[in-house]
Amino acid sequence: MTTAIELQHISKSFGDTKAVQNLDLEIPQGSMCGFLGPNGAGKSTTIRMIMSIIHADSGSINVLGTNALNAKDRIGYLPEERGVYRKMKVCKFIEYIANLKGMYGPSLRKIIPDWLERIELPNVENKKCEELSKGMQQKVQFLAAVIHEPELIILDEPFSGLDPVNARVIGKVINDLHKEGRTILFSTHILYQAEQICDRIIMIDQGTKVLDGSISSIQEQFDPRVVQVEPVNKSISFDSIEGVEHSTPIEQSNKVNLRIREDATPTDVLQRVVAYTPVISAQLARPTLDEIFIEQVARNRGADAADAVRMEFENA
Amino acid sequence: MRKTLTVAWREFRHTAMTKAFLFGAVVMPILMMGLFIIVIPLMKTTEDPLKGTVIVLGPEDVVTVLQSKISEEDNSLQEIMDQLPEIIAQDPLVGALRPKKLETDLQIIVAPEEDIDILKDQVRNGDYLGLIIVPEEIVQTEQSDVRLEVFIAKSFSPKHTDILTSLTSKSVVDARLRRLGHDPDAIKQLTRRPRTIATRLSDDGTEAKDNEIARKIIPMAFMMLLWIATFTSGNYLLTTTIEEKGNKVMEVLLSAISPIQLLGGKILGQAGVSAVILCMYGSAAFAGLLSFALVDLIPFSHLVLFAVYFVIAYFMIATIMAAIGSAVSELSDAQSLMGPAMLILIIPFALWPIISDQPNGMIATIASLTPPLIPFIMIIRVTASTEMVATWQIMLSIGIGFASVLAMVWMCARIFRIGILMQGKPPSLLQLVLWIKQG
Repeated sequence: MTTAIELQHISKSFGDTKAVQNLDLEIPQGSMCGFLGPNGAGKSTTIRMIMSIIHADSGSINVLGTNALNAKDRIGYLPEERGVYRKMKVCKFIEYIANLKGMYGPSLRKIIPDWLERIELPNVENKKCEELSKGMQQKVQFLAAVIHEPELIILDEPFSGLDPVNARVIGKVINDLHKEGRTILFSTHILYQAEQICDRIIMIDQGTKVLDGSISSIQEQFDPRVVQVEPVNKSISFDSIEGVEHSTPIEQSNKVNLRIREDATPTDVLQRVVAYTPVISAQLARPTLDEIFIEQVARNRGADAADAVRMEFENA
Repeated sequence: MRKTLTVAWREFRHTAMTKAFLFGAVVMPILMMGLFIIVIPLMKTTEDPLKGTVIVLGPEDVVTVLQSKISEEDNSLQEIMDQLPEIIAQDPLVGALRPKKLETDLQIIVAPEEDIDILKDQVRNGDYLGLIIVPEEIVQTEQSDVRLEVFIAKSFSPKHTDILTSLTSKSVVDARLRRLGHDPDAIKQLTRRPRTIATRLSDDGTEAKDNEIARKIIPMAFMMLLWIATFTSGNYLLTTTIEEKGNKVMEVLLSAISPIQLLGGKILGQAGVSAVILCMYGSAAFAGLLSFALVDLIPFSHLVLFAVYFVIAYFMIATIMAAIGSAVSELSDAQSLMGPAMLILIIPFALWPIISDQPNGMIATIASLTPPLIPFIMIIRVTASTEMVATWQIMLSIGIGFASVLAMVWMCARIFRIGILMQGKPPSLLQLVLWIKQG
C-alpha cells in the first residue's frame, strides 16, 4: 500500500515550547486515520506542517509523493480555526476557494448547489456568509475543503461546534468520501468520535507519538483494567471492594465502570463483585481510546498528568 | 500565476466594487470635474436682477455719484484680477468672476421728505426697495464716528444688500474727492499697480515666462495625487489583510496557495484599485487644468516620470501596509506600527515648500535619493524645477527606487508569512526585524 503522508523525525518549537518532537508518521493511501490527542498535544501544528503552512525545524515531510506546496490542489483542508468572507455570497466563497484549488469553469457552478444539498444546506448559495449560523458556516467551509474532490482530505477538529444532527451529516459525507477511496486524516480531542469512524489512529501527547495502529490492534495491546457492572441496587458503592481503584458511573445507563488496581487481576475483582452484591451483568470492559490514551500518559508522564488528561476528556 | 490573479481579482472586486469606494473614488472626482463644467453657467444664471427704487436721504452730490455708479461696471474685483497671472486671468472660470455691468433696473432718488420713521414705513410697505441715510458729516474729509445707514425690506437678498452698501460707500468716497477738487477716476487709474512678467533666460538662449502656479501648485498636486492613490489603496490592503486574519480565513487560503502567491495577489489587486483612484483624481485634476487653460504647463515627460514614480511609490507603500496588516490582529493595533512609517512618509509634505523653492538644492537632491521618500520628493523636484533635473539623478532615483521596492517586497514577504498566522499581541518593531531574519 502506498503512503499518502510520511513524516520523518519532525520537530517544531515556538520559542522555548517544543510543539512537536521527533515525530514519525505514516498514513497509507485510502485510510481513514484519526489524529488524536488532548488540546495542546501538537495536532494542529503537525497538520499545519503537513500542509506546508508552517515549516518544520527539522525532519522531512512527504505528502502524496511530493510536498504539500506542490500537491495543494490534491489536498482538501479544513483548518481548526473556521473562517469565511462574511460579506461574500456562499456560492462565490466556495467558487473562490475552488478556483484557488485549481478548479474553474461552468461545471463548478453546477455542482455547488448539488453539494450544498448533500450537506443539507439547500438554497443558501445566494445568501451572504454572514447570514448563516456558525454551524452552517462551518458546513460551507467543509464543502469548500472537499469540493475539488481531493485525493487527501485533512480535517482539523471537523465536528467541533456542530450539533449532533449536523455532525452526523458531515460524518456521513466523510464516510462516503472514504468509500470513494480518498485518504482522510482528521484530528480530534474527542476520542470516541475517532473510535466510531476511523480504521486507524495516531495518538500524540506533548508533541510525541504515543500510539499508532488500527483500533482493534491497539485495543488488543491493552490489558482491560476495567470491569463494567450493572448492579441491581443502583445506589451501591463499589469503592470498598479489594482491588478496585475507583468507580465511575456511566452516563445515561445504570452501569458502573470499576477501575482495577495494578496489583489486582480482573478475574479476582469480577469474582469479588459478584459475591459483594447481586448484579444484572458484570464483564471485562473493552478499553476505550480515552482509557488507552490516559494509560499511555500515565506510563509516560505519571499519574498526575494522566489525571489532568482524564479531567480534560471529561470536560470535552 | 493564475491563482495569484484570482486573488488579485477578488481583492480588486472586494475593494473597488463597493458603494463606499464608488462614492469616494469615482463619484467624488466626477463631481469635482462636473463642478468645473457646470460652475460657469451656474454663476451666470443665479444672479437675480436688482429692481426697484431706493431713496437716499443725504447730500445731493452723493446721490448723483450713486446714480452714476449704478449704471457702471462693478470694479471691485478688478484689482484682484490684475494680480493674477495672465494665464489664469484668461481662464473662462475666472472670466465668470470678471467684473461686469450690474443687471439692475434700479432708480436712486432723493427722499421725498425728511421724517425717517415715515420713510422706513414706506420701505416696510414695499413702496421703496430701500432707504439710505448719508449724514453730511460722513462726506466731510475729517474723521467721524458717524455711520452710513441702509434700511431694506425683510426679503431683500444679502447679495443686493452688499451691492447697495458697497456702491454707497464708494459714492461717499468719490463725493469727498470731488469736494476737494480731485477726479476719482484719475486717482484710481494712477494708483492701480502695474502687472509684472518675470522671464527666465536659459543658457541655450531661450526665454521662458516664470509661472508661480507651475512652480508651487502643480508639484504639490502631483505629490498629493501620488499620496492619495497609493495611501488609499495601501490602507485598503492593510484593512483587508487584517480582515482576513480576523475572519480566520487566512489558513483556508494558505491551504490553497503559498503566502507569496497570496501577498502577490493582494498587492496586484490593490494596484488596480490604486490605478483607478489615480485615473479618477488625475482626470479631475486634468479637468481643472483644462478649465484654467494650464495643460501646456505639464510636459509629456513629466507624465511619464509620474507613472514610473507611481509604480515605485505604490509598491513601497503597499509592502509597508501589507507587512503591518499581516503582523497585527486588530486595526487599532496597526496604529502603533503605522506611527513610525507615517512619520517618515509625512516628510515630503514638510519639505514641499523648501523643495518647490529650491528643487535642485542639497536637501532636495539628498531627499529625492532616499527611500522611501524617492517618488514623492522626486516628483516635486521634476515638476517644480525651472530647469530639467539632471538626468543622472533621475535615473539614479529610479534605480534606487526599484532596488528599494525589491528589498521591501522581500522583507514584507518574510514578515507576511510569519505574521499572517500570528494572533494576539502585536509585535514590536524589533520583533518585526527578527521575523525578517527568521522568515
